[in-house]
Amino acid sequence: MTDIRQERSGAIGHVEQRQSSRLTLLRLLLSNEFGLLVLIVLFALIFSTVSPAFLSKFSLYALGRTAAVNIMIGFSMMVVILTGGLNLSVGAIGVSAAMFGGLLMEAFGLPWPLAIAGGLAMGAALGALNGVIIVRSGLHSFIITLATMSIFFGVMIFLTRAESYRDISPVFTGFGRMKLFAIVSPLLIVSVLVAVLLSVLFRYTALGREMLATGANERAAELSGIRVNRMITYCHMLSGILAGVAGVMLVSRTGAAIPSMAGQLGQDWLLPAFLGPVLGGTLLTGGRVSVLGTFLGSFLVTMLTTGLLLMQVGAFWVQTYLGLLLLLAVLLDLFRRSYLTRRKLI
Amino acid sequence: MNQTVFHAEGVTKTFPGVTALEDVRLTLSKGSIHALLGENGAGKSTLIKVITGVHRPDSGHLTLNGSAFEPSGPRDAIGHGIGVVHQERNLIPRFSIGENIFLEGLSAHPLKRIDYKKLFSDAREWLDLLGVDADPSMPVDRLSVAKIQLVEIAKALSLNSRILLLDEPTASLTPHETDTLFAILRRLRDDGVSLMFVSHKLEEVQEICDQVTVLRDGRNACESRTLEGLDRQAIVRLMIGRSEQIPDWSARDRSTGDAALQLKDVSTSLGHKQIDLTVHKGEIVGLYGLVGAGRSELAKAIMGKFAMTGGSVLVKGKQVDIRSVADAVGRYRIGYVSEDRKSEGLVLMHSVLENVGMPIWRRLAGFAHLLTNRTVRRHTEPFIRKLEVRTPSLEQHVGNLSGGNQQKVSVAKWLAAEVEILIVDEPSVGIDIKTKAYLHELIRELSDNGTALLLITSDMPEMITLADHIVVMNDYRVMGEIDNTRDYDTMSERIMALIQGEETVAAGV
Amino acid sequence: MSRRIWENDWFGPLLVVVVAVAIVGALNPSFLSPFNIQILLLAISVNAMIAFSQMIIIAIGQMNLSVGAIGGLAAIAFGGMMEVWGIPWPIAAFLALALGLVAGLANGVLVAFTGISAFVITLATLSAYKGVNLGITEAQPFYEIPATVKALGNETFLHPLPWLIIPCVVVALLLWYLLNRLPLGRSILAVGGNEHAAELSGISVRGIVITAHAVSGLLAALAGIMLVGRLQLGQPTIGDDWLILSFAAPVIGGAILSGGHVSVAGTFLGVAIVAIFTQVLVLFNIDPFLVQVVLGVLILWAVGINRFREVRAQRHAEQVAT
Repeated sequence: MTDIRQERSGAIGHVEQRQSSRLTLLRLLLSNEFGLLVLIVLFALIFSTVSPAFLSKFSLYALGRTAAVNIMIGFSMMVVILTGGLNLSVGAIGVSAAMFGGLLMEAFGLPWPLAIAGGLAMGAALGALNGVIIVRSGLHSFIITLATMSIFFGVMIFLTRAESYRDISPVFTGFGRMKLFAIVSPLLIVSVLVAVLLSVLFRYTALGREMLATGANERAAELSGIRVNRMITYCHMLSGILAGVAGVMLVSRTGAAIPSMAGQLGQDWLLPAFLGPVLGGTLLTGGRVSVLGTFLGSFLVTMLTTGLLLMQVGAFWVQTYLGLLLLLAVLLDLFRRSYLTRRKLI
Repeated sequence: MNQTVFHAEGVTKTFPGVTALEDVRLTLSKGSIHALLGENGAGKSTLIKVITGVHRPDSGHLTLNGSAFEPSGPRDAIGHGIGVVHQERNLIPRFSIGENIFLEGLSAHPLKRIDYKKLFSDAREWLDLLGVDADPSMPVDRLSVAKIQLVEIAKALSLNSRILLLDEPTASLTPHETDTLFAILRRLRDDGVSLMFVSHKLEEVQEICDQVTVLRDGRNACESRTLEGLDRQAIVRLMIGRSEQIPDWSARDRSTGDAALQLKDVSTSLGHKQIDLTVHKGEIVGLYGLVGAGRSELAKAIMGKFAMTGGSVLVKGKQVDIRSVADAVGRYRIGYVSEDRKSEGLVLMHSVLENVGMPIWRRLAGFAHLLTNRTVRRHTEPFIRKLEVRTPSLEQHVGNLSGGNQQKVSVAKWLAAEVEILIVDEPSVGIDIKTKAYLHELIRELSDNGTALLLITSDMPEMITLADHIVVMNDYRVMGEIDNTRDYDTMSERIMALIQGEETVAAGV
Repeated sequence: MSRRIWENDWFGPLLVVVVAVAIVGALNPSFLSPFNIQILLLAISVNAMIAFSQMIIIAIGQMNLSVGAIGGLAAIAFGGMMEVWGIPWPIAAFLALALGLVAGLANGVLVAFTGISAFVITLATLSAYKGVNLGITEAQPFYEIPATVKALGNETFLHPLPWLIIPCVVVALLLWYLLNRLPLGRSILAVGGNEHAAELSGISVRGIVITAHAVSGLLAALAGIMLVGRLQLGQPTIGDDWLILSFAAPVIGGAILSGGHVSVAGTFLGVAIVAIFTQVLVLFNIDPFLVQVVLGVLILWAVGINRFREVRAQRHAEQVAT
């Protein structure tokens, strides 16, 4: 058994240590988050040179406020993507949650904090329903959430007769119009707070780790004693809550709960929902997330939209650019990854 | 011997970071059955892929029937009469037998109507040749494993293959089905086909093969020599570079200790019937059987992944109802080292630390589930060190480690979880000899420290080295049990007899 | 081994159609009036194209979110070419079909050569194609549609059979022939059934993926063009509501979403079921908003049944094996 003894010399941490600091720097520079930051600065410079109005106080404020909602939508998709699934019903859930909140305020006269809590609870319930159906049926989340997107939205439209709730608490809508330091919307602060909470969840809690392990390899996670079905359900529930937050934010901003605020079946949210996480380096196959990346990705998308509109490229064409952007992002990610793999950095 | 059909000379193939083949030679003769042997990772599959045109060698050359052969891809190799039956299933599940056999013909004329009548009658001929009794219009997903194997062979032969490579064709066949297959292979040989046979079952190799090539660490340990005069020990020596070291552990009886895990008349939703099994504290119970005997499935049922439909399970003498793996791990301290490391044992894209900590996160977490890497590290690092996992850091992705180190990580996980009952499923698949010996010592040490171990392995020497008591399974039933005397020849004979149901159950006790 | 009749994919949906027609016809005789049948067949004709366009992608185990966007783009291109450039309608239709084909080809090439999931690629192209549509039309329809086109989109050639049923039936037969009799179609299903095995058997997986997406684009464009005739408008919103239907019908027809198995007849009957249910909501004055709910429930119901059948088939296979 001398062979075994010899191996004892090479335990943890002896190999490659010298190179590691240089590699860490290279890895950082090639990280998604850093790339996004560079792009954000770059585009900010371009937009402000072409159109000085881009840096006006109001424009920055509006940018932050819109970004806040898109970031939420991005998070809502991110927490499902990390399980290796999708949630096509984010938009339908977001609108349903917002409408329920509006209903509680207008028809039941509940004070706004309770009504909002009710709205979020609705989001959580619908998300959990998705999760339960997916786990029980063993079918892919794509087809299930495609169906529930249609069901949730249909029931919502049926119950509300496609009418808006406009009797929203002024305190609450005031929140959506408030300006802190003249340029910061409180909504953006909510998004930052949620981002922090999500970071804590995935970095410093057993629950978050179990969710990630489930997403990375469901079978291995289960055989290690993780209740994977519960984790998947939780992720969908969390997605529902976050979609609800996004919906409620929109109510606060527009001052009304409008059934069409996410388009037909809530489909208008799909693109921002995927753009944020995908730009931010969340793996579509699950198991890895970047909260900061999603935050920056959604911010970049909002900034590009705003900037393109300011540059008067025509509102109708913006969607084309966003589609091309998504394409470009996944292609760049492909090259970045293959580069990193070739250099053995990941 | 006979005339040479195929010859490979000086074949070298490197992948980023690994030299898979180095200066490998191989000669196939007409009408012979040639064994290609080697440990996992020795380069067998790479060599097959070179011959079938999937990989192009970096250097060296191949000759086929005397002229240079440089296949541009699998298509080309097939066109030159080299057929292959892969280890993984390569049929289209919902297609008929006939269509699967002639799938290659599909791409030639994409818009020419398929004549199913002719296709089925042509398929019939091949099936008859191989003695397969099945309707050619039947979808292959309704066939038994053995028949699927034969359909794959028919498929390869239908392409006028004069060279047929078979990668572990008997892995999931019963002894009877294996005999049938061997009869067919012998007939093909007599018809002048050159067969290359990859298997881990040396008994089978000795039974059917004429010639042998052994690879070790990507090089020839021997090249196309006749099997005559090579006994089992000699082959093993060629494969591992030294003679098989069976540690000189004396037989021991641990059945007097407290029972840690007992199954009484258990049946499961997967089809297990009347399973009785006892593992005592400090005992290693081996579960032997062929692939498909239902051993891993039984392990997973014990772990709570699949439901028990009858009988009772006792942990430390108390009847328990294990409803989920989380229950088994958290409440009853049972762990399972999966045979399929990559898809069931580890999360390859996560770090060593995450993998080892997985079963205990919940136990370690404090207020509001909060948990820092420091805590996890404190509870896992001692075990990672104990097992001497070679990794640059704990943050390294497990996917980047070698097979042996990956296996150590998947064992370390359960040591960290402080399990009292550990089920180890094929512990030495795809790992080097050194790690294997190390793991054997570790398993022995664990049992000495009181862990109850259930060892599943298809590696007979491993079973006889490690187990104190051996339970033999076949077809989701227990066929009998024997105390291990550690005498290889008599033990292996008795085990094989039990599998075939020749030894009566009473023989066990 | 011959299959028993109820094991066919089309058997369940056919039963549902027959029972639904019988019940609804008995409760409300106007359901079986020639006019109502004409309306029903018009809806089925167009929707079947939409469903087939998705079905061919499901066959290879992928999905195409951009069917609606391609259909919409082809529709406005068709309308626009006739209105703005005064191109005769057959040529305009041909060019619009070519546009759909190219859009599908682009999807296929991107999926096949990057290895990125079809979901992400087609989500991106959905947005791109839709953006081009809106950029050209600025959300305004093209109104000047030739009378012939309008007539073809609404009138019957043999009461109550509308003209539109002709392309629908032709396409259905061609697809059936392709997927059941031609090596190309079998290759499509083989790629969906076991991509690795198909590749080893010499099938060009890339080529097949690109072909399937091209056919999908072509069929989506055909649906868009047919809708222009039916609506008598080059509506930019054409295609916005196709997504759910496009998955519902094939799935009701027994398609397996992981690929390798679709049924043309089943999909067609799936379309019929959806059309009948929608009509029933209208006939009985039930809120039309509930159509979405019905579609969603139908999908869940169908995938549930397919899953059940799959599990049972596997069990059966295991029993044979042991």
